[in-house]
Amino acid sequence: MTDGVAGVAHMKSGDRFTRGSKAVEALSKAGLLIAILAVVLYGSIANAAFFSTGNFLNVLTSMSIVGIVVVGMTFVLVVGGLADLSVPATIACGAILSLGLQPMIGPVPSFVVAVALAGAIGLLNGMLVGYFGVNPIIATLGVGTIGLGIVQAAVGGVIVYGTNPASAELVKGRLFGIPVVALIFAAIAIVGHFVLSRSFWGRWTLATGGNYSAAEASAVPVRAVKAGAFVITGLAAGISGGLLGLTLQSARPLVGTGYEFSAITAVVVGGVSIIGGFGSVPRAIAGLVFVQLLTNVMVLEGVRTPVQGFVLGTLIVCAVGMDAALRKRGGA
Amino acid sequence: MRYVSLALQYRVGIILGLTLIVSAMLVPGYVSATTLSLGLDRAATIGLIAIGLTVLLIAGQIDLSAGSVFALAGIVSIMLQPQLGILPAAAAGVVVGMVAGAINGALVVGLKVHSLVLTLATMLIFRSIAHWITDSQPVTGTDIMFSLALAQIYLDVFTVRSALFVAFILLLHFWLTRTIPGRNVFAVGSNAVAAEESGIASGRILFFGFVFAGTLAGLAGVLQSLVTNTGSPVFGSTLIVTVIAAVVVGGTRIEGGKGSALGTLGGVLTIGALTVAMEFQSVPAYVQQVVSGFILILLVVLDRTVNTRRKAAADRPAFVQGNPIKQGGSA
Repeated sequence: MTDGVAGVAHMKSGDRFTRGSKAVEALSKAGLLIAILAVVLYGSIANAAFFSTGNFLNVLTSMSIVGIVVVGMTFVLVVGGLADLSVPATIACGAILSLGLQPMIGPVPSFVVAVALAGAIGLLNGMLVGYFGVNPIIATLGVGTIGLGIVQAAVGGVIVYGTNPASAELVKGRLFGIPVVALIFAAIAIVGHFVLSRSFWGRWTLATGGNYSAAEASAVPVRAVKAGAFVITGLAAGISGGLLGLTLQSARPLVGTGYEFSAITAVVVGGVSIIGGFGSVPRAIAGLVFVQLLTNVMVLEGVRTPVQGFVLGTLIVCAVGMDAALRKRGGA
Repeated sequence: MRYVSLALQYRVGIILGLTLIVSAMLVPGYVSATTLSLGLDRAATIGLIAIGLTVLLIAGQIDLSAGSVFALAGIVSIMLQPQLGILPAAAAGVVVGMVAGAINGALVVGLKVHSLVLTLATMLIFRSIAHWITDSQPVTGTDIMFSLALAQIYLDVFTVRSALFVAFILLLHFWLTRTIPGRNVFAVGSNAVAAEESGIASGRILFFGFVFAGTLAGLAGVLQSLVTNTGSPVFGSTLIVTVIAAVVVGGTRIEGGKGSALGTLGGVLTIGALTVAMEFQSVPAYVQQVVSGFILILLVVLDRTVNTRRKAAADRPAFVQGNPIKQGGSA
């Protein structure tokens, strides 16, 4: 509301604002690392169980499932799509189908079908947001409700169990001592990082989120790019849901509840701008690591679940507020 | 084309009429005073929240935390009953809603962040508090007779909350169309910067918009908890989709600047009629979810396509007129 006035003030003191913004930039980058170190330090002192291989492997495994969604969600936020709230539905879709279809078509095809269907839900989101210009929150909330309803109706609201122990063993197994799930997450994160930071698609994504009209005028296919971010999130959530289902060997329709918040929290805490145009996969993952370690410490210290939700919600507010404050100082 | 735009303008009425006709044909015994008052009563919960959300949406904001505020206010009004008595506890519940709204408003206006993301966070926070203070268990009230009295039907049609809802929506209609603050809400919603330049304190309007929405969500939660004599931390977790659907069906635009109280009334009644019809046919809850999600998407898309076309038509002459001015400025 007072942005216009602030902008003029910044123009006058151009060099000072640049220096200030550099310091802020450095702080925002290092701040997260310091925070992670602080949590690790506190955890190691407060609880003997924290600094152990077993605990870190646990954190890594649970982090990987959310992390795959985080990679997709980063694209949604960077492209200026606010958030994808249909993630619980796409995760449920991935988990239920990859288990439920096993007796009919085998584990691998059912996983592929599950991910493809989750991608289709993402495509529907993308069409609504990118091509029809529907508000992303409304579109994904609506599509998520529909998707979840259909998934529930399809299995009659009951729990689906896995029938193929071999696939479960594969997903739960380890390669060179690292959980397979974590390796899959690492692969997806690396691919996501390179797509966002090194490829034409990533440049388009950043351009679209930064300035939609300018990107459109520069012949960036803005609608497709915007839709694409939601397809990526749909696919990622489908993969994440499939892995979750295979790990647990059972899937409820509400299995994905809360994952959208975990993913958004991680991305926002990582310092990816909510209004788009700025952010990277490593930043989002740093946010994820911080949130996961914090949650882990809280669990080890016996903090109750609702309190954890409270802390995470407060964390989002702080991160969002900080983002707004930094943006104001940067004059953008 | 004129008929089309006329139909679009009064589409809420058309949708409501169609819903009632189809329901009356499919559901035996649908058109009776009892059924209708039941429908109205069911709609009242959605409706009270929708009143607050209508104001916020017109002002260009949204409150996703309404469902959590709904649960929290209800829990407080039940938990304080032994200490305070029923009515003061209910008042405390409404105050909780008001405070929650004030928190939302202060954060959105103070931090200047998008209300979507912020209320997403406060939705998590308020829901956590609800789980926290109840140990995730439902709580029961002291006096079931009071609940029964509250759920009673007066004058063949109204229960206490449906009467409250109808009264409030008429007041809102008057406020939005006849008073200066009401008009200012529209101004802020269509262009906050322009409104600010014309001397409207848009920050204050937004803040009180959130307080208003929170208070009404709290009131709805308190009434729901009193009628069911229960407060539960899971109450209202899927409510917000239905409420947004109701408001959007009523023709209020998500982007702000456009909407009406009577439209919301129509939207709420449509959703209520639909819910009761589906419940009478024992349609499972998840299918009801699919229907309300589908209606929401359909109407938003319809609204977008109509508006884009109209805006494109309106933009062209303005662009041509604007051209000479630009040339004059540069010379």
